Order: sequence, then C-alpha cells, then structure tokens
Amino acid sequence: MNTFIFGLLAISSLFVFFKLGKIKASGKQLDRDDRIKWGRNAQKKVRKDPNGPKNLEEQPEQISDQSKN
Amino acid sequence: MSKHSALNTFGRSGNPAFTRNFNLSGTGAIANEERMTLDGAVNKTGILLSLCFVGAFVGWNAPALTMPALIIGTILSFVTIFRSPTKVGSTAPFYAAFQGVALGGITVFAEAQYPGIGIQAIGLTFGILASLLFCYKTGIIKPTENFRLMIFSATMGIGLLYLVSFVMSFFGSGIGFIHSNGLFGIGFSLFVVGIAALNLVLDFDFIEEGAEQGLPKHMEWYGAFSLMVTLVWLYIEILRLLMKLRSR
Repeated sequence: MNTFIFGLLAISSLFVFFKLGKIKASGKQLDRDDRIKWGRNAQKKVRKDPNGPKNLEEQPEQISDQSKN
Repeated sequence: MSKHSALNTFGRSGNPAFTRNFNLSGTGAIANEERMTLDGAVNKTGILLSLCFVGAFVGWNAPALTMPALIIGTILSFVTIFRSPTKVGSTAPFYAAFQGVALGGITVFAEAQYPGIGIQAIGLTFGILASLLFCYKTGIIKPTENFRLMIFSATMGIGLLYLVSFVMSFFGSGIGFIHSNGLFGIGFSLFVVGIAALNLVLDFDFIEEGAEQGLPKHMEWYGAFSLMVTLVWLYIEILRLLMKLRSR
C-alpha cells in the first residue's frame, strides 16, 4: 500500500513539475535590471568600476598643470 | 550550494563553456540545436528525478544498501561538481540513482520509527518545489545579486556548522542544538529548510537565464544536477524536521 501511495505521489509530482517547469517565466521576472548575472563577466564589470572615478580624478590635475603654464 | 561556487570556479579557470558562452556576445558561434533550452533542462531534471525514484524503490526494498549508496552518491556529487561542466551528463544520472537508493533506505528507517513520515516529507518537498516554481515563474519572488549573496552565505554557514559538528562527533561531543528536538533545534531545522528551499529559486533562475542566453547544450545537465542536489538536501532536512517534531 505504501509503495502504491509513494508511486502515485512521485508520478503526480513529476507531472506537475513537467507542466509548470516548461512555462516560460513572466516578463515581470525576466525584464529586470537587477537580475543575477550568472558567470564571470558580471564580476569583471564590478571590478572595473572602482577604476573609473580614479581616472576622472586624474584629469583635473592635468588641467591645473596646464593652467600654471 | 557548492554547485554555484563551482560555477564561479569554472568561470575563473578559463573554461570556454563559461568564459566565452555565458553572455549573449559569446553565443553567436553556437548552432541553435546545440544551445540550452528550458524544455531540455526540465526534461533532464525529469530524467534525474525518475532515476532517483527508481533508486528509492530499490533502497526501500533493500535498506542494507543505504550506507554504500550514500557514500558512492556523495563521492559522485563531488566528482560532478569539480569536473568540467561538459561531463556532468555522464555522472549526474548515477548520482541521482545512488542518492535515490540512499534516500529510500533513510526513509525506511524513519518510517519504522514514525509511520507515515515518508509521505509527509515527499509531499512537503514537492509541495515546496511546485509553489516556489509558481512564485518564480509569476515573478512573485525576484532573485537579485543581494539575494544570491544572502542565500550563498547562509548555505556556507550551515555547511560549516555541519562540518564542525561532524568532526566534533569523532571526539565524543558535538553541537547539541542541531540535533535536539527542543524549540531551538526545531527553529534551526526550520531555518535550514527555508534556506534549502530558497536555493531552489537560484536553481530556477540559473536554468531560466541559461536558456535565455543560449548556453551550450551540456549546461542543461548542469542545471538539472544542481536542482537535484538541492531537492535531495531539502528532502533530508524536511525529514529531520518532521522527526524532531514527532519525537516531542
């Protein structure tokens, strides 16, 4: 009896998973800016960010040097 | 849990599967039929689940196989995680089958102590799977980078606590509250079940984005395997929680 109930539960669970799993996620889920970026490229972008402001800070120094001349 | 860290490791290793193909710009060279699809990942998860059920039937009828199957299953999980993602398809089905045998055996032992607990645990596991899948698909739960960081940290913390408890058990002591059936022990189990369940959301997101970005076909096996690992963990934690509740 137990085996029968387990089997029934397993088959119905598989059926629900197949039906629900193959539906594409809604636009509300997919069209977001804050989605997880799986993989390496996302990390690269984050690492590059701290260098940006440094470069910007260096530029005014050059301008001030020119003004001295 | 560790599958995600393995993903990062593989990415850093310069494996072409991740470095070239894990963004839209790199998928141009892959033919459409060689790309990961949502249907493919779901089908492969279905294959792994079916193998796990068959294994559970074997374990249910031969509980003596529990320990060997558990050891082999654990070894296979580490092999699958640390091998190249291109080879996941060759070990993941064996992992699912052996873990199924182990889970079947564990359920027999639990059933002997608390009749009816197996049905409750399976029902809860697949109930959580279905409801979280629904919440993810409809956008009720929206995983973000912060969400991933939070779940990853909590999972690592739980893993570390279990490891310390396991090592301490060799010296005749342990972290008592983890296994106790007091309020603190039940609360801890509830927390672990919650974290295991939220790991499912990360797996769904990985599969969905992988299909959207057109990752290589073998990543379908990778997504299915990671979902399978989370489901096995969730089932064991639910069983532990129910056993604690029933022993009060």
